[in-house]
Amino acid sequence: MVSGGQSDDSSSAADEKSIIVSHHKKLTAMHYQTRYRLSLYLLLLPFLTGVLVLVVVPAGLSFALAFSAYDGLSPPVWHGLQNYRRLSADDLFWRASVNSLTFLALTVPLRTLITMGLALLLHRSRRGVRLYRAAVYLPTVIPGVAYALIWLWILNPVYGPLTLILSAFSLPTAAWLVDPRTALPALAFAALFQIGEGFVVLIAGLRHIPEEYYDAAAIDGAGSLATFRLVTLPLIMPWLLLIIIRDTIVSAQNTFTPALIMTGGGPYYATLFLPLLIYQTAFDRFRFGEGAAMTAVLFVGVGVLIALVWRALGGWGYDDAV
Amino acid sequence: MPFDRSVWRRAWFHLAALCVTFVFAAPAFWAIIASLRPPGAPLPSAFAQLPDSFEWSNYLRLFDLLPFERYLLNSMIVAALAVPLTVIIASWAGFAMAQLPEGMRNALLAGAIIVRMMPVTALWLTRFLVLNELRLIDTYAALLAPVWMGSSPLFVLIFYWSFRRVPTEVIESARLDGLGAFAIWARIAMPLARPATGAVGVLTFVQYWSDFINPLLYLKSESRYTLPVGLRILQQMDLTSWSLLMAGAAIMTAPVIVLFIVAQRAFWIEAQGWGGGRKKA
Repeated sequence: MVSGGQSDDSSSAADEKSIIVSHHKKLTAMHYQTRYRLSLYLLLLPFLTGVLVLVVVPAGLSFALAFSAYDGLSPPVWHGLQNYRRLSADDLFWRASVNSLTFLALTVPLRTLITMGLALLLHRSRRGVRLYRAAVYLPTVIPGVAYALIWLWILNPVYGPLTLILSAFSLPTAAWLVDPRTALPALAFAALFQIGEGFVVLIAGLRHIPEEYYDAAAIDGAGSLATFRLVTLPLIMPWLLLIIIRDTIVSAQNTFTPALIMTGGGPYYATLFLPLLIYQTAFDRFRFGEGAAMTAVLFVGVGVLIALVWRALGGWGYDDAV
Repeated sequence: MPFDRSVWRRAWFHLAALCVTFVFAAPAFWAIIASLRPPGAPLPSAFAQLPDSFEWSNYLRLFDLLPFERYLLNSMIVAALAVPLTVIIASWAGFAMAQLPEGMRNALLAGAIIVRMMPVTALWLTRFLVLNELRLIDTYAALLAPVWMGSSPLFVLIFYWSFRRVPTEVIESARLDGLGAFAIWARIAMPLARPATGAVGVLTFVQYWSDFINPLLYLKSESRYTLPVGLRILQQMDLTSWSLLMAGAAIMTAPVIVLFIVAQRAFWIEAQGWGGGRKKA
């Protein structure tokens, strides 16, 4: 504001002093500001290092390896598109891709619908609602290996609880995991109960809708179906989209533990999914290059699916929230 | 009349919610019942799932078959180290994100969301190669490596949202008092973010306690195996005894469920604030 030398002779010593003091103050403030900023970056440093070492570098390596032959011992050899050519002729790879897609097509829409239904049922504060919410979350906290073992028991064709219940109502039962026709749907069914993450997010989303919107809809005489279609759905669309995208990614890779434990990819490759095939290719047969190429296909495939979902649901709905 | 209607509504709500509760609690319930059945007992018929006598000794037999106490201890060591390290690193990152100027903050937010969306399977293979290069294969450090990125970008985001809800004046006045970033994080931000700390702590514990893939890929010595890998070994022994397998599954699951029951309050309080930071800012 006041630049130093341009003041008249009449300017008193006090004025000059105050200018110097304020200048000094400004300097220390700036100094403090930079120091504060620097220490913020220091706090950020471990996180950034972790992301660099555990995500960025592996992702880059994966990209490079997909074009190489590498057995983990001798140095990788540039291979061009050889890996992809071999994959396109590999029946197992096609089988695993189709299985993965089928699994996604079965689980993502159903999981989304169930999540939404339960969130709508349980989002308001009512007596006992906490207990119900905890029950919905319960299967999600069961560790993957334990969950797979439990379902192995539930689906057991002789003693399993599901078989016992179905036959008590004289409904047809099957050797769920032994029959190639039912094995994949059985794994998909087991996956329908682990929806806690989306459930929590959606409840948070529903609670963000101001109560007045519902009141206004009620004054306008909207029934519960119209209120849902015109108020609730558009307002939670961003959250719903977030859940669907996240679920596509998670479902594509969460097939690994159940497939490894419950079926080993069988019977007759009926539950061989891409993550399991990648694991077998890389860690059992030491073909890291081919594994990386499959990983790239899985990654791009999931990306394409997400883009499709995004287009189908029309972006973020409205851009006020999230 | 309106009284009647609300009573009916409430009844329907509780009926529906109870059905949901039964369905979602069934897998855990069946597993516990099965774990208490005497091995080799006659077949249960239809709904008579409850055995005549509860065979708690199934749980003890596990420890004779396999070094389960070793697996349990290993799992506890990993989780006990992972929780505090994650809370510190994730909250540092979240605090820095909340305090940095807008441009930088948005870049970091976008980065965190992209990393969050990254499929883990896409990184298994080459993460193995990186950890191998760092000579970390077959150590707990390999299992704990994700703590350096706050275990999950979600945890960083949870802290970020929580810190954004701290009124700016509180932080400003602390800065005028000459407190540095670290001191503000420790003395002001963290005490105000207790629900977030609770939620992240619980989720971190679950992540490491349940982790099956990382020990499967990165551990070699049996003496370092954690519980999930131990369960896999138990399954591969092919005991044909469901009671023991279900007992193993119950041991694996019990701590997680207890933790969630204890931490439920903090968890829901925090969840209600998710994504809500911007509205009040």
